[in-house]
Order: sequence, then structure tokens, then C-alpha cells
Amino acid sequence: MGSSQDGIDRIDGTDWKDEYSMLTKADMTATILANAEVAPEHYLMKLAVSGAFRDAQPGQFVMLRPVGRGFPFLGRPLGIYSLAENGSGARIEILYRAAGRGTKVISTLCEGDRIEILGPLGNRFELKPGMKTAVLVAGGIGIAPLVFLAERLSAKATPEGPKMILYIGARDSANLLGIDRMKSFGAEVRVSTDDGSAGYEGPVTDLFREDLLSFNASKTEVFVCGPNPMLKRMGAIIADHPIRCQVLMEERMACGMGACLGCTIEVRTPTGVEYRQVCTDGPVFDLREIIWR
Amino acid sequence: MALLKPRTEVKIGSLVLKNPVMTASGTFGYGEEYAPYIDLNRLGAVVVKGISLEPRRGNPPPRIMETPGGMLNAIGLQNVGVKAFIGDKLPWLRQFDTKIIVNIFGETLEEYGKVAAALSGVDGIHALEVNISCPNVQKGGHVFGCDPDASHGVTKIVKSATDLPVIVKLSPNVSDITEIARSCEAAGADALSLINTLLGMSIDIERRIPHLRNVTGGLSGPVVKPVAVRMVWNTVRAVSIPVIGIGGIMESDDALEFLIAGAKAVQVGTANFVNPKATMEIVEGIESYLVRHGIGDVNELIGSLRTE
Ligand SMILES: Cc1cc2nc3c(=O)[nH]c(=O)nc-3n(C[C@H](O)[C@H](O)[C@H](O)COP(=O)(O)OP(=O)(O)OC[C@H]3O[C@@H](n4cnc5c(N)ncnc54)[C@H](O)[C@@H]3O)c2cc1C
Ligand SMILES: Cc1cc2nc3c(=O)[nH]c(=O)nc-3n(C[C@H](O)[C@H](O)[C@H](O)COP(=O)(O)O)c2cc1C
Ligand code: FES
Repeated sequence: MGSSQDGIDRIDGTDWKDEYSMLTKADMTATILANAEVAPEHYLMKLAVSGAFRDAQPGQFVMLRPVGRGFPFLGRPLGIYSLAENGSGARIEILYRAAGRGTKVISTLCEGDRIEILGPLGNRFELKPGMKTAVLVAGGIGIAPLVFLAERLSAKATPEGPKMILYIGARDSANLLGIDRMKSFGAEVRVSTDDGSAGYEGPVTDLFREDLLSFNASKTEVFVCGPNPMLKRMGAIIADHPIRCQVLMEERMACGMGACLGCTIEVRTPTGVEYRQVCTDGPVFDLREIIWR
Repeated sequence: MALLKPRTEVKIGSLVLKNPVMTASGTFGYGEEYAPYIDLNRLGAVVVKGISLEPRRGNPPPRIMETPGGMLNAIGLQNVGVKAFIGDKLPWLRQFDTKIIVNIFGETLEEYGKVAAALSGVDGIHALEVNISCPNVQKGGHVFGCDPDASHGVTKIVKSATDLPVIVKLSPNVSDITEIARSCEAAGADALSLINTLLGMSIDIERRIPHLRNVTGGLSGPVVKPVAVRMVWNTVRAVSIPVIGIGGIMESDDALEFLIAGAKAVQVGTANFVNPKATMEIVEGIESYLVRHGIGDVNELIGSLRTE
């Protein structure tokens, strides 16, 4: 037990408060620089944010909430699509689908509007040091956080790798997003659509399965994000293969920071079925652990 | 002349709070989550997530749903259990110059008594808040807090198990909250807090399934505030022990309504989720209201409602 100046005993003599530099109201508000429809029902939002976001990492997310409106009442969790430092602050981009009432309201906000933002929240993807190949598998809007990952991987890439391969699937060609960016980061791109309007006609997981045996499991990492049925198929495909596969999970959230215990998913562990909070234990999980309802 | 800072200290029985603003159980974790956003030293008290004798996994997902002006939750009282709370969570909280109130619950009368006993005499705990909105597994799952006798029984067993001040947290899902309030007072409660969440339900019409796997859940947020203010107003006139107001407090104006209605203090719940700085803004907002109205002591404001 250590004793500090104010006489309060601390367990190990450290003052935990030193770990935190308190976030200010300015860290919790962003200015919208652009918010444009880039495909049917899909929007790209550019935000000027505080320096608190400069260290954000691929896989992390933010909670966004329009200022001063009754609805949505709770923030909406959205992944980071790209990040750039800007003076003492930062700029982030969010690529999102107007999936329901909350994101539809967010899509009506205009340049110059302020928006409440919490973040960066959650855990990042883990990157193995010896990774030679990064395989990214995206379904629909699931491409968004993978673009940020590719941005970072390409910035760090050496001639030895990692090499990036993107498997991307969408309903139709109009809903294929982020491909140009992925190519600019040097990713090799394989495309599928449900209606055959671009690339292979059928689920993107078919394309991945065809190539699976060609990957060296010990030097390859798979990163996947997309709708649950696709994630479930991915889980089945890798079930008997030693390759590591990290998945970004989604669940409804209230706080985004571990306080409400609302964003629970079920995982399989050596001791049985357990609950995990997507916001603080995730959103990155080992795909093999996930139990699908 | 410089304005004097108004006095904000309030007393809940023997418990003295530096200001009337606390966090509501289940909306503030065990405090750590909020340390990057607020100075916990500036809170009147921290009320931690409900604790039971053994750890609890809680309900299967989905557990929450936004509804107009609030949210439904069916977390199912997930918590680390009393032992891990004392060993892992409390030491961190103890460093702050604020009061720590531990919210407790049980599934049987005995369990309430045992949790209360396990927390008594533990350094750094200043009061217990008893969540009586729990089903009694020995009485066919009938909620303790919906029955005056069961509420009396829980209060009594907790009081006899501890020397800490005991705050009984009332359920609004009753036809006459003052009846329950009086029976808790008669059983020795030092204070009452209200309201817990209102039972509600919401349906996914596309899939024709409930939004929550538990089917029903507890409603909280601004939508419940008028109900909560009314119940606090009824209760302060029915009992002589202090009442703590809870329900839909988003900003200082909301907290002031409860104080004027007669609550000695307030708890801020769901607001923490959408604005992690809410409690600090409420502390400051109450102070500036007092200054603006020339009130030197918050106790002059409490219960000052004028009616015909
Ligand atoms: C960590 C994380 C990162 C995310 N990143 C992105 C992103 O980068 N781009 C993007 O477009 N979307 C992303 N989402 C999904 C996004 O949060 C939801 O689409 C959004 O919350 C829906 O809100 P709404 O009010 O518009 O829809 P609602 O009207 O509430 O619901 C519309 C549909 O979306 C589903 N839904 C509701 N909330 C969520 C949720 N939290 N997650 C998944 N589905 C949900 C509902 O079940 C329903 O089918 C992410 C979710 C999480 C948890
Ligand atoms: C997600 C969530 C979890 C809660 N958990 C508890 C709990 O463990 N024990 C308890 O007594 N009340 C619990 N409550 C109720 C709150 O403490 C509070 O009484 C209620 O939400 C009304 O206040 P509010 O509208 O400010 O949130 C919980 C509320 C929410 C929203
Ligand atoms: S969203 Fe609140 S705990 Fe995850």
C-alpha cells in the first residue's frame, strides 16, 4: 500500500488518474466536412475531429449522434474508413449505409453541421509480425473498416509484404464500394455480385473457398467483415483449416464503452458458452469463437 | 463583489454528499469506463452496477433497443459477483473523494441478507442501495418490489445484516408506489430511491419477433421523466425519510425538477450513455441555477414546489 499526498491509500502506490488525459467537449464533437451519397443508400462522411482520434487503429469505431435532435436518441456505432492527421487534429472518413431510421437521419446532415462523436472505441485488428499475405473478405458495407486496415497495411508494407488480396461481394455492381481505394493500396481484387452484374455471380465466400488451399496458414491472416449470413459461411469454410481469421462483429449499442452491457454476443470458449461485449471485448473477434443464432 | 459559491452539500440520513448528483446503477459500470470523460471526485456519489452473491451472466442477446425518447434494456443483472467486486473493482474506486454506494440484489430473501453482510465493514463502501425489482424465485418469480410485505421483508433482512445506510430502490411497476414506500420506511429503510425502469416491450414488425430476446425490458431515458417526477412527488409526501429522484435526467433542468419536487438528491442513468459528461454538466448546471436565483444552499431549493 502506498500513501499519496492527500493521504488516500492507493493499492500499489500509483495514482491511476495519471493514466487519463481527460477528454474535453471538443474531443466529443466533430464538424462535418462532407456527407455525400456515393451509391444508392450509401454515404461517405468526412469529419474534422480532435487530436484524440489521431491514434485510432483499424477495427476501431466511433459512436455518432446528431446534435440537438430528439432522434436518434442513442449514438450509432460506425467503423472508421480512413484517417489522416490534420494539424493538431485529424480527419476521419466514415462509409455507411442508411440501414434504418438512425443512419437515415445522419445521412441528412450537411457540410458545416456539428455531430457528437465518441471514440476511438473498441479494439484494433491484431497484426502478426511475420504476416506475408493479408486476405480481406468484405460483404456489402463490410468493406468500410477493411479499407482503413488496407490503408495502414500499405503504409507499412515492405517488398517482403504483406501482399493484400481483397474478396469483395455485393448485391450488384452499384453496391460495390471502396474498390478503387483498395487498388490504390496495392490490393489484388476479386469481385462477386449476387446478380452477376460484376465479377462472379454468387456469394463472395465461394471465391475465397476456391483459393483457401493456396494460402500458407502460418503466414496469412484473414480479416472479414460483412452481414451475419456471410460471416457464418466463412466460419464453416475455415472450420477445418488452420488459418487465423479475425472478424468484425456488430450488435446494437447504447454506450459503446462497456458501461451498459447491452452489446452482447455469444462465444464458444474452452469452458463453454460465454458472453462478450462487442464494444470492449471486440469488435474484433476470432471467427472460430462466434456462436451464430 | 465576487459571488459566493452556493452550498451544495446534502444529507441522505447519515450519508453526506458533496452535491446531490450521483450515477444510477447499471449505467456507469464500476466507474472506470467514465474516468477518461469525467472527474469522479466531483460526483456526489457513485452507485455501481447491481451486485449479487455470485457472478451472473445476464440475459441472452439482443438486450437493448432504442425506443422513442429512451431505450429498453433486458441486461439481466449481469455482474461480477460480490467477491470480485470487492477484490477487483472497489480498490480502483476507493481512490476517489466521493461516496461509493453499492447496489445489491438477490433472488431470495436470504441472498439479499448475505450480499449485504458480505459488503458490510468493507473499507470504502458508504451505503447500500437495494434493488427490489427482482423476481423472488421462492415465490413463483413474483417481484419483491411489487408487494408491500415482500418489500418490507427485504428491507428488514438487509437492515439487520448491515450497519451501512440502506437506500431501498423502488419499482415503478406498481399501482401505488406510496404503499411500498411506507412499508420500506416501516422496515427501517434510511432512504428511498426511485424510479427503477418501467416495464415495456417493442416488436420487430418485419420479422414479427420482439426486439429483445427476453421479450420485455425496462424502459429508461427522457421518456420516463414525467412519470418519475410524479412518483417522487407522491412519495416525498408519504414518507419522512429522504427520497432520491431517478428517471430520464439528461441535463440540470431535469435534475432541478426532482429537487424542487422534494428529492434530496438525484441519480443520472441513461444520459451517461449518450453524453459521458452528463453528470459534470448537471453538477455545474445546478450550481449556476442556484447562483442565478440567489439561493445560497441547495437545501433551500429541495421541496420548494409551489402548488395551490
Ligand atoms: C462496431 C460497429 C461498426 C460498424 N461500422 C459500420 C460502418 O462502418 N458502416 C455502416 O454502414 N454500418 C456500420 N455498422 C452498423 C451500423 O451501426 C448500423 O447499421 C446502424 O446502427 C443501424 O442503425 P439505424 O437506426 O439506421 O437502423 P435501425 O432502424 O435500428 O435498424 C436497421 C437494421 O439494422 C440493424 N441494426 C441496428 N443496429 C445495428 C448495429 N449496431 N449493428 C448492426 N446492425 C444493426 C437492425 O437489426 C435492422 O435490421 C457498425 C456496427 C458496429 C457495431
Ligand atoms: C442498461 C441499464 C442497466 C441497469 N441496471 C440496473 C441495475 O443493475 N440495478 C438497478 O437497481 N437499476 C438498474 N438500472 C436502472 C437505472 O439505475 C435507473 O433506475 C433507470 O434507468 C431510470 O433512470 P434513467 O432514465 O436516468 O436511466 C439500469 C438501467 C439501464 C438503462
Ligand atoms: S454498448 Fe454499452 S457495453 Fe457495449
